[in-house]
Amino acid sequence: MSPKAMQYKANSIIFFKGDISDKIFILKTGQVSLNYTDIETGQEIHDLIKTGEFFGVRSALGRYAREETAQVLTDSVAVAFTVPEFEQLALQNTRIIIKMLRIYSNMLRRIHKQVQNLIFSEEQIKPEEGLYRIGEYYLKNKRYSQALYVYQRYLTYYPSGRYASDVNQKIQIAEQYLQKYGQGKGPSVVPGEEGAAQAVPKPNEDRQTQEMSEVAKQFYNAVSLLSQQKYQEALVQFRKIVAENQDAEYTAKSQYEMGRSLYYLKQHDASIQAFSSMIQKYPKHPDLREALYYVGNCYADKGDAEKAKGFYNKILSLTEDEDAVSRKVRKALRDLGGGGQ
Amino acid sequence: MNGSAGAFKRFRKTFQAGDVIFSEYEPGDNFYLIQVGRVQIVKIFGDLEKTIAILNPGEIFGEMAILEEAPRSATAIAMDQVTALEFNQENFDILMQGNPQVALTLLKLFAMRIHDQKRKFQILTLDDVEAKVADVFLMLAEHEPVDTTEVETMQFNTTVDDVAHWAGISPEKCRQVINHFINQRRVELFPEKIVVRNINDFARFVKSRRRKQD
Repeated sequence: MSPKAMQYKANSIIFFKGDISDKIFILKTGQVSLNYTDIETGQEIHDLIKTGEFFGVRSALGRYAREETAQVLTDSVAVAFTVPEFEQLALQNTRIIIKMLRIYSNMLRRIHKQVQNLIFSEEQIKPEEGLYRIGEYYLKNKRYSQALYVYQRYLTYYPSGRYASDVNQKIQIAEQYLQKYGQGKGPSVVPGEEGAAQAVPKPNEDRQTQEMSEVAKQFYNAVSLLSQQKYQEALVQFRKIVAENQDAEYTAKSQYEMGRSLYYLKQHDASIQAFSSMIQKYPKHPDLREALYYVGNCYADKGDAEKAKGFYNKILSLTEDEDAVSRKVRKALRDLGGGGQ
Repeated sequence: MNGSAGAFKRFRKTFQAGDVIFSEYEPGDNFYLIQVGRVQIVKIFGDLEKTIAILNPGEIFGEMAILEEAPRSATAIAMDQVTALEFNQENFDILMQGNPQVALTLLKLFAMRIHDQKRKFQILTLDDVEAKVADVFLMLAEHEPVDTTEVETMQFNTTVDDVAHWAGISPEKCRQVINHFINQRRVELFPEKIVVRNINDFARFVKSRRRKQD
């Protein structure tokens, strides 16, 4: 079988709207009109096919009913291809496909936009909100690596978004849990609930309208680098924020993160130093216990079990509360082989 | 390895099993052709992750990236170690010219997507919310290889949330409508499927509502 040239008399119909067929046509001579109702305006449209133009392609390729009626206006000749025949022709003539791809992608853009306009805004979730929720879903289900990807994307697109600080904390949690417990394991992190994670602040509705300061953006970008394990790059950023000291809050936060970056870079002495100066400068730093934990880890990694235990026990003495830090500390103490009630 | 395969090497990406290739709601400007491995396409509805498709080598995903500024409509996760060609605006022409089979696959996908979007548009333009929901079932029926002149009862592996998504209404609203259909004994609801007692009855119903509107 090969493509067949077909003769059509004026006023005849090549195919009807609603027909299901795998035929694709190319108009050789004559005049053919595609008749259909515009879905937007309800108007009856008559599109004239030019000679050399294909028609009936989309419904044949997509295997759905014809959307138009092809009416012959003057005596015409059209070549009919089956889908495999059309494919063979197109494969040898990539230009045809690329041209059609352009037309189709424009059509797709247009119809997609029309559809979006019809969906009322309340039924649509804002992408920022949506992305955050996906991260929450994976974290809640202990799929830490998936949660990390989504949260990091969130920070990439919305570094000063309404959930940015929450997401930053969640990234830390997900990283810790992934390392400590592994994918699919570990205590549950129910978003918004007190529990394994240190109280995760609910996003503040009022805050969303406020622009985040430049230094805050720098900080969150650096945290994002840290979570991508780009420790050296993160360290450079945190150092810069501390050196410039434009915003006390972020200077303090960055001081802590400097210590963490150094710890992950296995520069134990420098890490201990960074945390020590943080503790001296900010004795009430919200991440004080975490900082002590990293100092303990540094000593443990250096092989100084006694000093490590000293720091771990100090953390336990700071609060009666049982939380993620104290659990980690107890585990570290058990690993060192002693104490830790 | 032939010359063209070598030329495409720089567009090749590798993902480990479990890696998220892209996430729903993320803006996207590239799409992928799987060369090795399988990719799971999922969507999260409330507290449930639903697998929409499992794709194999030779298949394309993320192609709706050609829509400007449209967020991804689903999440793609590597099921195995996956190698994929990554397409974007810049390399599109080169890759398509050197890869006619891929171009053709994409053309077919676009043909289907245009149809899907047009069909969705028709559903959304119905004023009556019951008609919208019924029309979603008609659309789903069109995807099934059955002759509705012979078969009346049809079952769909879908959920209320899915139907709500297509009808452009909230899941709560959709649940109300479906409950109403259940009371009328037109529909039966199961955890993983929805059964429409008489698809032709829905077709008549939608047709009459559409006529009333015009």
